[in-house]
Amino acid sequence: MVWEVTEASAEPSHGWVQERSQWWLLGPLAALLVLAVLVAAGMGAVHVPAWHLIGSLIDGESLSADQRIILFTIRLPRIAAALLVGGGLSVSGLLFQGLFRNPLADPYIIGSSGGAVCGASIGVFLLPPVSLAGFSTTAILAFAGALGSITLVYWLARVDGRTPVLALLLAGFAVSTMLSYSSYFLEVLDRDFGTGMRVLASWLHGTIAQPTWPQLAIVAFMLAIGLAGSVPLARSLNTLALGEEYATHLGLSVQQVRIAVIVIGSILTAAAVSLGGLISFVGLIIPHMLRMVIGPDHVRLLPATALAGALFLVVADTVARTIIAPAELPVGVLTAFIGGPFFLYLLRKTKQEVMP
Amino acid sequence: MTLIEFVHVGFAYGSRSVIRDLDATISENECIAIVGPNGAGKTTLLRLAAATLTPSRGEVYLKSKALRDLKQREIARSVAFVPQNVEVPFSFTVEQFVEQGRTPFLKMFGGLGISDYDAMRRAMELTDTWSLRSRVFNQLSGGERQRVKIALGLAQRPQLLLLDEPMQHLDIGRQFEMIDLIDSLRREGIAIVASMHDLALIEGTFSSVWLMSRDEPMQQGSPEEMLRPEILESVFRCSPRHRPRLVERVRNRMEQAL
Repeated sequence: MVWEVTEASAEPSHGWVQERSQWWLLGPLAALLVLAVLVAAGMGAVHVPAWHLIGSLIDGESLSADQRIILFTIRLPRIAAALLVGGGLSVSGLLFQGLFRNPLADPYIIGSSGGAVCGASIGVFLLPPVSLAGFSTTAILAFAGALGSITLVYWLARVDGRTPVLALLLAGFAVSTMLSYSSYFLEVLDRDFGTGMRVLASWLHGTIAQPTWPQLAIVAFMLAIGLAGSVPLARSLNTLALGEEYATHLGLSVQQVRIAVIVIGSILTAAAVSLGGLISFVGLIIPHMLRMVIGPDHVRLLPATALAGALFLVVADTVARTIIAPAELPVGVLTAFIGGPFFLYLLRKTKQEVMP
Repeated sequence: MTLIEFVHVGFAYGSRSVIRDLDATISENECIAIVGPNGAGKTTLLRLAAATLTPSRGEVYLKSKALRDLKQREIARSVAFVPQNVEVPFSFTVEQFVEQGRTPFLKMFGGLGISDYDAMRRAMELTDTWSLRSRVFNQLSGGERQRVKIALGLAQRPQLLLLDEPMQHLDIGRQFEMIDLIDSLRREGIAIVASMHDLALIEGTFSSVWLMSRDEPMQQGSPEEMLRPEILESVFRCSPRHRPRLVERVRNRMEQAL
């Protein structure tokens, strides 16, 4: 029969399987992330050398009491937040790019971050603070906002089962602009001027807030759910890249995959936005750069994207909070400066498709 | 054995009826060319057999089970559909592309096993694309791309291969290579149904011809019976003054008869 192995292929495929593996990047990325965290922890008004930090983890005595307070209540939570936000945005960018079959998708560009901010604003300005099973209403509304906006953009931008670049960008632009100004509107409605406004301003500029450990725990939990949910989706996104009809023929439940990506991408976006606000282009740059190094296979891209996104934002946030010290730059300014030109470069490369 | 059976099948896109009351069977070892003018429903018929479209009337059976009762995963293990155009937005390599043919066999959390790699490898060997495996699919030539698409279909280990316009955009040399490939797959025991525009390439490889027209019922027969100028003239609605050209197109058949 035709499927019996011929003489030419009699040697087993093991060697080929080995040659195909592209996991080598994960080790260096993880090592760089650890290094970045150690260096970032040392940087700021009070300098803490990395070896003191490592020493304190071993014997608990290399740090002074002041250093200890600065590290554990200020810097490390901030670094952990940057790590979670970077990982969350990058992975949701990867998922949305796969879903839209479009390498220009990013939670900021397609309005999902704007939806999360708008949802969170409703929580901050209009509702009394309540919590459901440990999640604040703000976090839940952020998720609902992200989910609603991405669903709207997806519905608007799809033409015959495809998502043309131009339709995606226009729909994302319109929806995120409306949502941003809705957030301003909610701020104006708010009577209790002051706290709310500062929160909103930091969200809209993309500033990583000074989180508490319990806040971090909730976001880390949301991210863990999101990442775990992304693992079985990664292979499906490879199949979906062939187009919806072909993927359906191959037995993929396209509708289920679509819903799962939208829900999980929204969880990740909401988690990231609740700590960092509107941080642009991270979800665009990171998956794209990794694709250039290890190729477009989503199964291999997923863990690498999570690590590289975390690494990128830890570095970017450290630069943002030290470059004009004692003042701090919102990290969103920095990512916009780096990501904006990169986005324009990608847009230029895909120009034929945008302007046929 | 009968692989696919169409029983009183009708299909309409909205109110536009494309296929009316079709009865036909595809058996093992058959190699069928679907011929007909644009819009006659060639691609629709292939999609109905692959179950990416569901008939508006009648029923399509796969080995005597109704397609609408089967899971798409099960269907895709017996029937592979190779579409005309595939757009891949990312730069997948040939092997990553062919890997997608294993989708109907993979569990949600399972990775590829050695049997999957063997299937992919065999599919690439049969289509002579093994040496292209590390190349980027989007950077291949038209002929190479066509063979890689067929490799994806073969990675499904199908009994029936449905090819939608396999000759499209191929130069004459690549068309001959494609005919050789179809011939070799047929000899390996895979049933093939291909929609064909170039009538001169049908004879010698295909065992039968399904002639579809826009308003008449489908005609079936051997290439000798179907590829006659008078039949083609009416199906393709050619003006009588083009008859010499039409005769030229199918002369291949006549020369063999002489």
